[in-house]
Amino acid sequence: MFKNNKYPRAILLSTAVGAASMGLSLQAYADQYSDMAEKWVSEEFQDSTLTKEEQLKEMAWFTQAAEQFRGMEINVVSETLATHEYESNVLAEAFEDITGIKVNHNLIGEGDVIEKLQTQMQSGRNIFDGYINDSDLIGTHYRYGKVMPISDMIEGEAKDLTLPTLDLEDFIGLSFTTAPDGKVYQLPTQQFANLYWFRADWFERPELKEQFKELYGYDLGVPVNWSAYEDIAEFFTDHVKNLDGKRVYGHMDYGKKDPSLGWRFTDAWFSMAGGGDKGIPNGLPVDEWGVRVNECNPVGSSMSRGGATNAPAAVYATTKYVEWMNKYAPPEAPGLTFGEAGPVPAQGQIAQQIFWYTAFTASMTKEGLPVVNDDGTPKWRMAPSPRGPYWEEGMKLGYQDAGSWTFMKSTPKERRLAAWLYGQFTVAKTVSLKKTLVGLTPIRESDINSQQMTDAAPKLGGLVEFYRSPARVQWTPTGTNIPDYPKLAQLWWQYIAQAASGEATPQEALDGLAEAQDKVMMRLERASVMDQCGPKLNEPRDPSYWLAQDGAPKPKMANEKPQGETVVYEELLKTWEQAQ
Amino acid sequence: MKQNTKGKAFGITAYIVILMLPIYWLLNMSFKTTEETLGKMTFFPENFTFANYATIFSDPSWFMGYINSMTYVGMNMVITLVVALPAAYAFSRYKFVGDKHLFFWLLSNRMAPPAVFLLPFFQLYSSIGLFDTHVAVALAHCLFNVPLAVWILEGFISGVPKEYDEMAYIDGYSFPKFFLKIFIPMIRSGIGVAAFFAFMFSWVELLLARTLTSVDAQPIGAIMTRTVSASGIDWGVLAAAGCLTILPGVLVVWFVRNHVATGFALGRV
Repeated sequence: MFKNNKYPRAILLSTAVGAASMGLSLQAYADQYSDMAEKWVSEEFQDSTLTKEEQLKEMAWFTQAAEQFRGMEINVVSETLATHEYESNVLAEAFEDITGIKVNHNLIGEGDVIEKLQTQMQSGRNIFDGYINDSDLIGTHYRYGKVMPISDMIEGEAKDLTLPTLDLEDFIGLSFTTAPDGKVYQLPTQQFANLYWFRADWFERPELKEQFKELYGYDLGVPVNWSAYEDIAEFFTDHVKNLDGKRVYGHMDYGKKDPSLGWRFTDAWFSMAGGGDKGIPNGLPVDEWGVRVNECNPVGSSMSRGGATNAPAAVYATTKYVEWMNKYAPPEAPGLTFGEAGPVPAQGQIAQQIFWYTAFTASMTKEGLPVVNDDGTPKWRMAPSPRGPYWEEGMKLGYQDAGSWTFMKSTPKERRLAAWLYGQFTVAKTVSLKKTLVGLTPIRESDINSQQMTDAAPKLGGLVEFYRSPARVQWTPTGTNIPDYPKLAQLWWQYIAQAASGEATPQEALDGLAEAQDKVMMRLERASVMDQCGPKLNEPRDPSYWLAQDGAPKPKMANEKPQGETVVYEELLKTWEQAQ
Repeated sequence: MKQNTKGKAFGITAYIVILMLPIYWLLNMSFKTTEETLGKMTFFPENFTFANYATIFSDPSWFMGYINSMTYVGMNMVITLVVALPAAYAFSRYKFVGDKHLFFWLLSNRMAPPAVFLLPFFQLYSSIGLFDTHVAVALAHCLFNVPLAVWILEGFISGVPKEYDEMAYIDGYSFPKFFLKIFIPMIRSGIGVAAFFAFMFSWVELLLARTLTSVDAQPIGAIMTRTVSASGIDWGVLAAAGCLTILPGVLVVWFVRNHVATGFALGRV
């Protein structure tokens, strides 16, 4: 009797004590996380488009949403860029402090990221819980059905784990990651463009301006078309030759037989010449790779199947690439790879470069470089790329890289959701402006229009002005026509190298490339490995049938070198301002 | 006669200079800033800097790559020897049905390119939870190292007369005692050479090592790829990382320097 009474009381008491201490420790936890949020917001994320209260509210949401995942450790992977280094070194730590989820944000070469991604796609085994993968693979992802669309997550399993202030509309690259089915598959976290780069200080020199006008009959300025680019290249390489005691060149490029030679072309070189059809972000039905789709099914890339990979515009673009490199670039250019050629303009011998990635902005504004003034402002500017004779209004005009969060269906749900939280954290308005200022790869409209970006603009050589301009939308990644980016992209460098080395004519090289692409697509068709919109190749027929129709492939123009046209850089900026 | 020696000395010097030049260049680059590497040709660093090495030694995600690589290479060497020693002894001392064929088949494993085994290994290790562990890579490398080690050790063991085994038996040694106390010391140079070849393969093999790992056992070779990006190549850090990968190899070569030639002849000298 006596004993019986005692037990329940003891149990009650211990339960009460336990509950109280648990409540206390929960309280302590909450305090610990909010203290950390306070610390990070006031010490690291001072630059933000949100007020401090709004930032803290956002962080509190993360703490609360991550409660069920506390103590978990997840692995994500990305290529190496200043932006991703910031994510890996700073944001991952902040995220752990604020949510209790440990993130290993692994940095490896881009090729290795793709390899890991492909291994996971093909084997169905989880390797990483989240990938930062270029949106060039959008066509691949929505066809194979291995990637969990962001839209589905937001409406389904991650309904309660989607940041209320994520503001998808604010992302400038959302159209790149949206498939024809209307779903958003990836979430952009980093973007950079491929633009025209030139030495604004040289272009301003009166004696050079005068000499140019005398020779070519129009003003030296930012070239609007390829004719003007060619004239300016010739002007500096063959007429100016030496400037301030240094040999100078009017063009820079690279041509070594190396995988990086493929990017030189798949990153939209044909679109600049005017290959492909009208349409933003990518031409339809024929895109800038020259791949035609019917509805959403790729039907061919050879002209004989309605494609434009070996069409006159593509041949023209390739011919000019080879010709300019041999005639106007420094003699070592044909033997260089992308990585070797990239830093060359910073050494002060190059007057202009038609194909230049804004990812180089930070490394070209370092003090002490020959292309930087004493006050730290650059002597160079970036401007929209000139267009080739086949280009028409309404087409894309260059490339933009949009590294985007990508989550796989084969990742266990809990890990995928935790990675989704981290992904959102790296693009949340609390941190994204700071991240943009560090890495110079803007993703949000609100960041681009912020006062901080205005303040940084003078040192960035036109980056901010470009991203604020209405022209920006013409720079886009590879689109949804490409059914398997890794398999098709790797064909390019081998064929382009034949043209670059003179082993084959541009026409022969592109015929080979178009045929190789068709073969890969044929194999994909036969294997029917794609969930939706897989290739269904057209029967080959005489190319004249397709050339006679509107749009790409376009017939060869009689005059591929119209009158050169230039514009004064300041005028260009003014028209952008007015358009805003 | 004297002329001849002079000519010889010159030839050897030129040979060594040409061989060492790339390594000197790597070392030279590792002490330069990337700007200097790209900016001009300098035979000695103008702005001597340890910054590249500091980057590697201050960042766990960098230096853990070395520790990971050394861990699985060490494991692999131990497993290889433990497995190959008894096997080589058996091939040398006993006759059994198909011993010759089995011996040759072992070596033929070595002839298949690692890529062939990539997907089977990946599938297998993922299923049994070994993916991204050191032991996974060590075991995978055994496929190539065990046959080679068996071949090398068999040559050395056959060089030891069978009478030693019998004498030890008569003297009252048990087999394990004989094997450990008498036999192994007699073929220790062979063991050194076998270990060296296991090291050589495992240390530079990248394909299997990087496919079977993601974060926890990532080899240094995979981490080095991060110096290449869309905004250029970080030459300084890449060169520093390259120099550091040479060091363990130099150490191992130092220890087995007197035995390597015998090893190449698989002990049959």
